[in-house]
Amino acid sequence: MHTFLITILLAAMLSPVTAFSKDFGNGVTLSEETAISAIIDTPADYVGKKVKVSGLIIDVCSTRGCWIYLAGDRDFEKIRIKVTDGEIVFPMEARGKVATVEGVVESMVLTREEVIKRRKHHAEEKGIDFDPASVASGETVLRIRGLGASIDGV
Amino acid sequence: MSWRRWNYVLHRDIGFLCIGLTLLYAISGVAVNHIKEWNPSYSVERVETNIGPVVGNPADAATALEILARLGEPGKLESSYRPDRNSLQLFVEGRSITVDLPSGHVVHDRAVPRPVLREMNYLHLNHPKKAWTWFADLYAVALAFLAVSGLFMLRRKTMRRGLVLTGIGVVIPLFFLILYL
Repeated sequence: MHTFLITILLAAMLSPVTAFSKDFGNGVTLSEETAISAIIDTPADYVGKKVKVSGLIIDVCSTRGCWIYLAGDRDFEKIRIKVTDGEIVFPMEARGKVATVEGVVESMVLTREEVIKRRKHHAEEKGIDFDPASVASGETVLRIRGLGASIDGV
Repeated sequence: MSWRRWNYVLHRDIGFLCIGLTLLYAISGVAVNHIKEWNPSYSVERVETNIGPVVGNPADAATALEILARLGEPGKLESSYRPDRNSLQLFVEGRSITVDLPSGHVVHDRAVPRPVLREMNYLHLNHPKKAWTWFADLYAVALAFLAVSGLFMLRRKTMRRGLVLTGIGVVIPLFFLILYL
């Protein structure tokens, strides 16, 4: 009976833990937060700099957990957070949760062929169709090289 | 006790200790080896359906709830996102529901963790880090000991066969290195 009561007590004490946030990688140390829209509007001000951003996780790499997309603070905007494979692994359950991420802003100039390769890979991961003809030209991609993150409720 | 006996006893007992971890690494090894062909940790289910055009304001929670009602989705709406003017993405208890509002085309994504395999991969790929890293290192050292101590268990009768098989085991990775490197 004692064991049973202790188990129930422990379960009750531990159950709210799931409501707290979980840290990944180096966690989050910066105090000042940068709006994702600010990075998108003036990337030159942020490239190469360490920032802290937060937003809703709208997609997670389903095979390796090596990237997430964070929704921006404005409609229709998002930014990709890429982490080193294996160093940080985002769980699929993080979709729909709010994350605070710290990392270095990167800008990559991609040729049309590189864009096709990336989108083809992404489509394969998602199991969706992809038509290379839908890519008209190369593009500049903004992303954050994630060093640490904190996700609520995972 | 002679060194041969010590070698035998240690090989046997460390071998027993390694059985569980070896099976874990072996099964997970095959699973993650084919990561290009399948997702070793999650079964990603994707269902497409049509609920008819959605006319409400996508920024309005009532629209999201109407979509869930039309889908017969009993889960609680956790959050939403607008990928573009015509789409709305809803998150319901770990599931993602993306709706093309004008056509009503719905893509329902659900990632179900593969039982046991996900946990095996979690350990194999050292996601826990911390103390598990040291434990996995210890296991690697134990495996190296098993390999080397096994060589000293060869008897005269099986010496030739043992050395030939050991040689083949060394040559195989070298062959692939020459082939692919």
